[in-house]
Amino acid sequence: MNVPDVMPIVTVSFPDALRTRVGNRRTVAAAGRTVREIIDALDRDFPGLRFNLCYETGELRPYVNIFVGRENIRYLQGLETAVTTGVTLHILQSVAGGR
Amino acid sequence: MTQQRAYTSGSVLLLVGTKRGLFMVTSRDREKWEIAAPTLKGHRVFYAILDQRSGSRLFAADNGDFFGSFLRYSDDFGETWQEPKMGIQFAEGGGEKLVNIWVVEAGRASEPGTVYAGVDPASLWMSTDHGETWEIDRGLATHPTRERWEPGAGGLCLHTIIADPTNANRMWVGISAVGCMRTDDGGRSWVFANKNTRTDFLPVKYPEFGQCIHRLVQHPKEPDVLYQQNHCGIYKSVNAGEDWMDIQHNLPSQFGFPIALDVHHPETVFVVVEDPAARHNVGQQFTVYRTQDGGERWEPLTNGLPQGNGVMLGILRHAMCTDTIDPCGIYVGTNTGQLFASRDRGDSWQMIADFLPSIYSVTATLLV
Repeated sequence: MNVPDVMPIVTVSFPDALRTRVGNRRTVAAAGRTVREIIDALDRDFPGLRFNLCYETGELRPYVNIFVGRENIRYLQGLETAVTTGVTLHILQSVAGGR
Repeated sequence: MTQQRAYTSGSVLLLVGTKRGLFMVTSRDREKWEIAAPTLKGHRVFYAILDQRSGSRLFAADNGDFFGSFLRYSDDFGETWQEPKMGIQFAEGGGEKLVNIWVVEAGRASEPGTVYAGVDPASLWMSTDHGETWEIDRGLATHPTRERWEPGAGGLCLHTIIADPTNANRMWVGISAVGCMRTDDGGRSWVFANKNTRTDFLPVKYPEFGQCIHRLVQHPKEPDVLYQQNHCGIYKSVNAGEDWMDIQHNLPSQFGFPIALDVHHPETVFVVVEDPAARHNVGQQFTVYRTQDGGERWEPLTNGLPQGNGVMLGILRHAMCTDTIDPCGIYVGTNTGQLFASRDRGDSWQMIADFLPSIYSVTATLLV
């Protein structure tokens, strides 16, 4: 029996600095299999968001942290980190920034 | 309803870009100054201008610490800011990424919708719709030597743009640490304009490129005449940058960042040379230097400027400017947050602001 391939749906929470980009919401639902796909999906709904999070060359900006649950993706598979339905992605400003 | 601040026609507006926001400082008489609370608070604003060619539009190079750099604009003197529809961004997956936006300049009076921006990695961007959409100058972006361009300490930054008001096809840009470049065909191709400017930090002292130009200004009445403050000297060209003459003469240092001139007396040029190792005033007296003969001789200007053991002030490349009034006003912002102003061509000075964040830039506009 074939099991339909269901795209995971996650909750993404945003810091204050990005809420105007996502319609002043604290959290948004998005579908994707990896963090990168989630960002792509969010950018379709909220154009310009990818540029807020990533350089044009594709890598995550140095002072942006993304957590899948409680795990920083920098210590997992980076933007290729897989996500599962129901998990929360936390986008946060790094404590190391703001020099 | 958005409230607009009232800015009186005939006032001078200083836009002070700092490490933590954009400050607007105004005066009706250039003696008493008012400092408004900062806009873009907390942002690193490298440069800002007021473009009055059609209306009053502020442009600000907003380099966020976290979420990217944007060339924002405001039509209400900073009460609200807009993001361009298509901003300054390199093509995704193209191999380059925007590091910082360094400078924005209004285009020629004959091109009211045209605005230019310079960024790191060194490239020139242009908008023809007053900042709504931007595109890169391909001639500079694909220069055959580009892969050999090396950055200065601040990055590989295109920090100065001069669009010749007398020639729609001619422009100059200053890039650290590549040098001065000129186009004579509207940006389709670019040549180096570095002859006789030194690179004391390289084994070859006069290379074709690799110079660390810090700032460049054009004579408003003689368009082939340019002045530059370089990492290794102060120079003048009388032939559009084909070659340069060293005009350091009696200045105590070859090193400094800003340079500005009096548009009504264009043989009058101002610099703030520094101790090159310490990057602050030479000796204990903070000094602005003036020439009134195109660089033959320089005089120190110190009346009203601080002196003492604890006076160690550094001025970044965009942090000195002049206004368009005669006698001209001069404005100098320090990287420790002091703002000095003169209303008499530098003969006397007052400190008009202190305790600001580190000042990156000062531009002056006479409000119409």
